[in-house]
Amino acid sequence: MIRALYSAASGMEAQQTNLDNIAHNLANANTTGFKARRAQFQDLMYQNIRQPGAAAGQQTTVPTGLQVGLGTRTSSNEILFTQGNFVSTGNPMDVVIQGKGFFQIRMPSGELGYTRAGTFQLNRDGNLVTGDGNLLDPQLVIPPAAQSVTIARDGTVSFLAPGQTAAQQAGQIQLANFPNPAGLNSLGGDLFQPTDGSGDPIVGNPGGQEGLGTLMQGYTEQSNVSVVDEFVNLIIAQRSYEANSKVVKAADEMYQNANNLVRS
Amino acid sequence: MDNLTAVAASGLRSRMQSLELLANNMANSSSRGYKADREINTLYSAADATNPALSSGQQQSWIHQSWTDFSQGTLEPTGNTLDLALSGPGFLTVRGPSGNLYTRNGSLHVSITGDLLGPEDRAILDNKSKPVRIDPSQPFDISTSGDVTQGGTTVAKLAVVEFSKPETLVKAGQSYFQSTGAANAPVPSTKTEIRQGQIESSNTGPSEAAVRLVSVLRQFEMLQKAMTVGAEMNRHAMEEVAKVNP
Repeated sequence: MIRALYSAASGMEAQQTNLDNIAHNLANANTTGFKARRAQFQDLMYQNIRQPGAAAGQQTTVPTGLQVGLGTRTSSNEILFTQGNFVSTGNPMDVVIQGKGFFQIRMPSGELGYTRAGTFQLNRDGNLVTGDGNLLDPQLVIPPAAQSVTIARDGTVSFLAPGQTAAQQAGQIQLANFPNPAGLNSLGGDLFQPTDGSGDPIVGNPGGQEGLGTLMQGYTEQSNVSVVDEFVNLIIAQRSYEANSKVVKAADEMYQNANNLVRS
Repeated sequence: MDNLTAVAASGLRSRMQSLELLANNMANSSSRGYKADREINTLYSAADATNPALSSGQQQSWIHQSWTDFSQGTLEPTGNTLDLALSGPGFLTVRGPSGNLYTRNGSLHVSITGDLLGPEDRAILDNKSKPVRIDPSQPFDISTSGDVTQGGTTVAKLAVVEFSKPETLVKAGQSYFQSTGAANAPVPSTKTEIRQGQIESSNTGPSEAAVRLVSVLRQFEMLQKAMTVGAEMNRHAMEEVAKVNP
C-alpha cells in the first residue's frame, strides 16, 4: 500500500521534472542557437516477492514470479543537437554553422566556451565578440574603417578597406566538435563547456575533414525547439501527473476503507 | 476467523497488490520501452482446506504471480539519429554487471571512445557479443536489420535477440530485463525491425488509470462491505442469539 503511494509520488515527481524541462524549452523557443533538452525516464528497482524459477513443488518451478516495481525516476535530460532553422537576416556579422561544429568563445574566466549562436558584434577595439562581449577565439580584428566584411564558407574573414579594390584577410574562424556533444555542460548564455563525458574538443577549419560543417554569412540559427512537440509533451505530462495523483487518491481511499473495517 | 471475513480479507490484500502494480505502471507511463506489469489472481487453498476430512471448501484469492505485458508500445518519431525503436518482439543486448541485459529502450548515446551506450551507460553489444564501436566524429546509420554503417561500410551488426519464453524475463530496473536460466536462451530475432530516429514509448498510459484504477477501488470497497456484513453477522450472533438473560 505504502509502495503504491511512493510509486505514484515518484511518477508525479518525474512529471514535474518533465514540465520544468518543457517550460525551459518553450521559454527558449526564440533563443538563437538554443538546443532543446529532452527528459528521459526509467523504471526503478523491483521488489521480488516471489522469485521466478523458485520451486513450486517437488517437480515444478514457478514460471513467472511476482515483482512489484517501485516507480520511476528521471534518468537524464539530454541535449538534442539537431540543426535549428536558418533565418536570413542580411546582417554580415550573423553566421550559422551548417554541420556539427561549435564556435569557440573566450569566456571572462579565460577558459574556452562553445556555442552554436553565431550572432557576432564588434567591440570598440574592432574584435569580433558575442552579444555578451566575449571574444571569439582565435581573435579577429576588423579595422573601424572597413567598408564591408565577408565571411567565407571555410571561415576566412576578409574586409574591404576604404579606397582599395582588393579585400584584405582578417583571419579564419575555427570550429570545434566533440566525440560526444550530448555530454557537454550547459553554462547558460548559449555556452557549453566540455566535460569528461563529452571528450576533448576537435578543432579545425570549417569545411575540413573533421566534419565540422561550413559557415554561412547573413543567417542566424533558430532554436531547435518544436513548439508543437513541446505542447504535445505538455499535455502528456499533465495527464500523466493527473493519473498519478489519482493513484495517490485511490491508495488513500483504500487505506481509509481498511481503517474503517475496525469501526464496525 | 469465519469464512466470509477470511475470504474477503484475502481479496482486500490482493487488490492492494493490484494497486501497487498499477501505481508502478502509472509512474512509468513516460518511461521509454517500459512494459506494463499485470497481475494474475489465483485461488489459494490452505493445506487444511485441501484435506477432505477438514475441508470447508474455503478458497482464497491471492496474487502470486505478475506477468509483463510485452505488447508493442507506440513508436514516436524524434528525428534524433541516436534514437532506436524496435518494432517486433526483439530486444537490444547490453553488457550488464553480471551477464547480459536486454532492453527495448533505444535512446543511445556515444562515449568519448565511440562506444554505443544504452541506458545507464551500458555498452550495446553486436552479434559477436562485442561492444559496438563507431567513429564518434562521423554520422552513422542503422538499417532495419541492425547493420550499423558509417561512410558506406558496415561497422557492426546490433545483437537484436528474442526469447522463446519472454514471460520468464525478469525486470532488472532502469528499463532492463534479465534472462533467467539457460532454458530461455536469447536467439537472433528475425521478426524485429529497427527504426532509427524513432523511440518506443511506454505501452501503458494514463488512460489505464480511468479503467483499472476505478475497478480496483470499487472491488476493494465491495470487499470491505462484505467484510463489514460478516462482522455485523458475528455481532448479531453474539449479542442477540447467544444472549443470556439475567
